Amino acid sequence: MVSITNAHNELIYDAVLDYYGKRLATCSSDKTIKIFEVDGESYKLVETLEGHEGPVWRVDWAHPKFGTILASCSYDGKVIIWKEENGRWSQIATHAVHSASVNSVKWAPHEYGVVLLCASSDGKVSIVEFKENGISTPTVIDAHAIGVNSASWAPATIQEETVLSTNNADATSSTTGGNKSVKELRRFVTGGADNLVKVWNYDETAKTYVIEATLQGHSDWVRDVAWSPSVLLRSYIASVSQDKTCIIWTQADSKDPWKKTLLQEEKFPDVLWRASWSLSGNILALSGGDNKVTLWKENLEGSWEPAGEVEQ
Amino acid sequence: MVKLAEYPRTATFAWSHDRIPQIVTGTASGTIDADFSNESVLELWSLLATEPKKPIASLSTDAKFNDLDWSIDNKIIAGGLENGTLEFFKLNNNKTKIESIGKFDQTHKSAVNTVKFNPKQSNVLISGDNNGEILIWDTTKAVNHGSVVKDYTPLKPGTAMTSIEEIHSLAWNQSLAHVFASAGSSSFASIWDLKAKKEVIHLSYTSPVTGLKPQLSVVEWHPTNSTKLVTATGSDTEPAIIVWDLRNANTPLNTLVNGHSKGILSLDWCNQDEDLLLSSGRDNTVVLWNPTTGEQLTQYPPHGNWLFKTKFAPQAPDIFATASFDSKVEIQTLQNIVNELDQEQNVTKQQESETEFWNNVSHEESNEKPIVKKLQAPNWYENKSPAATWAFGGKLVTISEDGKSVNITKPIVPGLEQNIALNE
Repeated sequence: MVSITNAHNELIYDAVLDYYGKRLATCSSDKTIKIFEVDGESYKLVETLEGHEGPVWRVDWAHPKFGTILASCSYDGKVIIWKEENGRWSQIATHAVHSASVNSVKWAPHEYGVVLLCASSDGKVSIVEFKENGISTPTVIDAHAIGVNSASWAPATIQEETVLSTNNADATSSTTGGNKSVKELRRFVTGGADNLVKVWNYDETAKTYVIEATLQGHSDWVRDVAWSPSVLLRSYIASVSQDKTCIIWTQADSKDPWKKTLLQEEKFPDVLWRASWSLSGNILALSGGDNKVTLWKENLEGSWEPAGEVEQ
Repeated sequence: MVKLAEYPRTATFAWSHDRIPQIVTGTASGTIDADFSNESVLELWSLLATEPKKPIASLSTDAKFNDLDWSIDNKIIAGGLENGTLEFFKLNNNKTKIESIGKFDQTHKSAVNTVKFNPKQSNVLISGDNNGEILIWDTTKAVNHGSVVKDYTPLKPGTAMTSIEEIHSLAWNQSLAHVFASAGSSSFASIWDLKAKKEVIHLSYTSPVTGLKPQLSVVEWHPTNSTKLVTATGSDTEPAIIVWDLRNANTPLNTLVNGHSKGILSLDWCNQDEDLLLSSGRDNTVVLWNPTTGEQLTQYPPHGNWLFKTKFAPQAPDIFATASFDSKVEIQTLQNIVNELDQEQNVTKQQESETEFWNNVSHEESNEKPIVKKLQAPNWYENKSPAATWAFGGKLVTISEDGKSVNITKPIVPGLEQNIALNE
């Protein structure tokens, strides 16, 4: 449909369209981020953002209700928040709490506010909320020994709980007055250089994120994790690894154990670097070191089948 | 994460070849502990241990260690001991115990200074001693049913061009399993070919400043190119790392200088990224270089004594270990960037009262940061895929094969055509 040739002089590591599909952000080993306006089959470079001191690994657009805001992360250990106002781009914040490369940035579901999740090779993830008056104190948690490669939010879900029938610790944090409480379940998933996938959720009493599950299944670095944004009957997480496999982790209810399904039994021809879920319909796109993008969907029997390959 | 672990030992070490590596440390020779104990111990450590200060396993040995190496298949650990013994060890099945498989205490006639397993054939080991003797071992013959074969005789590498003095460093060629290099107390580094059964090339470096030929104490091969290697001078007056291409063995390809102020004791060329090389030495520092461009990338904070061994974790090269004569084996990350949390600590420190300052200063862990001269990302960070991401409307954004262009497409997924049409 659109092909933007020679967008950067050096390697591009990530390219992401905004909510309306009108703006494309790309980031590169040349330390810059470029913003293109895309209209039908035409495109135009509108800005080159300079500020990082190392290769820029990933970018993510905030929800448009907060304005035109982009987050970027780099080997320089920093996350920069960029904003466009009246056609002018500027840095509005720098988030520098990590002591090594920041490998992924992801904005939380907009229901939570302007909240960013960052994963770093220093073994930590940080969650930071940007407020009108500046930055709130970031939450920094130890996630994976030897480094975190990727982190991804769960879609915003509201969980209804019947207080009387569930006589557990969660009941204490519920609102009083009825026998039903409405609880927001903030969760995310991380993948690390310790070959593990971990699921985290927000603990109201501890005021931080605590581990919900440690998922073992990969035999090498987990390169990417992606939590399906579709609110379906089950939660879906895809994890891809240096071990050339993709695992689909599913959970029917947030109290249930996670179920592991190998996307396909045989290994892929090369390392799997990225996983991305379509915004509706739950189509999974996998990007491999063999330069192929393959698409996958679940069939009625609950196993995964190919849904095509993307022509480059 | 900065410093991942610090073991209070003056010890040499070897990494396992795992993504989540283990490390063994062996009491270093030529040192006396604070309690004047003469004991030597081989210890196993895990980076993920709940009690990081406590070894998982330990084993007493007859003598102290000059060097340790772990075979590529992780099955055997070889130790070169100061009393001339070469000893083989293994871990039990659940990696919680170290066992001695046995030792050869008569084969070498002097201290075994260095041992190196072959990166291609995990059963082949070379060892070099203080008298200049080099021996080639085949562990499939030297070790049988879990213990050493007493009447086993290792091979000799063949004819030397000149007399070989003390051997301090041995390195296998990373692509040719029959080629290795040796260096020691002389001004020569030697390249040996086991097929030709002789020393085939003699390298020496003439200093452009003094015109002298300094001692070449360390040697290390390029991770993939079979003709390239580096040597380092042990000279305190002119510390240098010399990059060679054997196709022109008379002139160095490149010389890395101004990184160390005293003799270099250890080199490690990263086996995952040819543009990264670690060096350490008698000036108590570690330097990260790009040996291709000759640039210094990072200077790590100095220790209290000589750093005699520095090695990347072979399968987790974001971390490396250093051994120093000030009773420290330290495991740290390549990157340790100054961040806002450190600055907060500094602010707190400035607000301390005088008494608080002197109370805290004695037992504070120093968090001195490395000096980054040039930020160069290791190649294992780089996404090497089309990095496909979905957008609204069933659009998919991908990066082209050359990594420089971006495509936006609308893939047709069988059975889902209608859904995508709805999004239009």
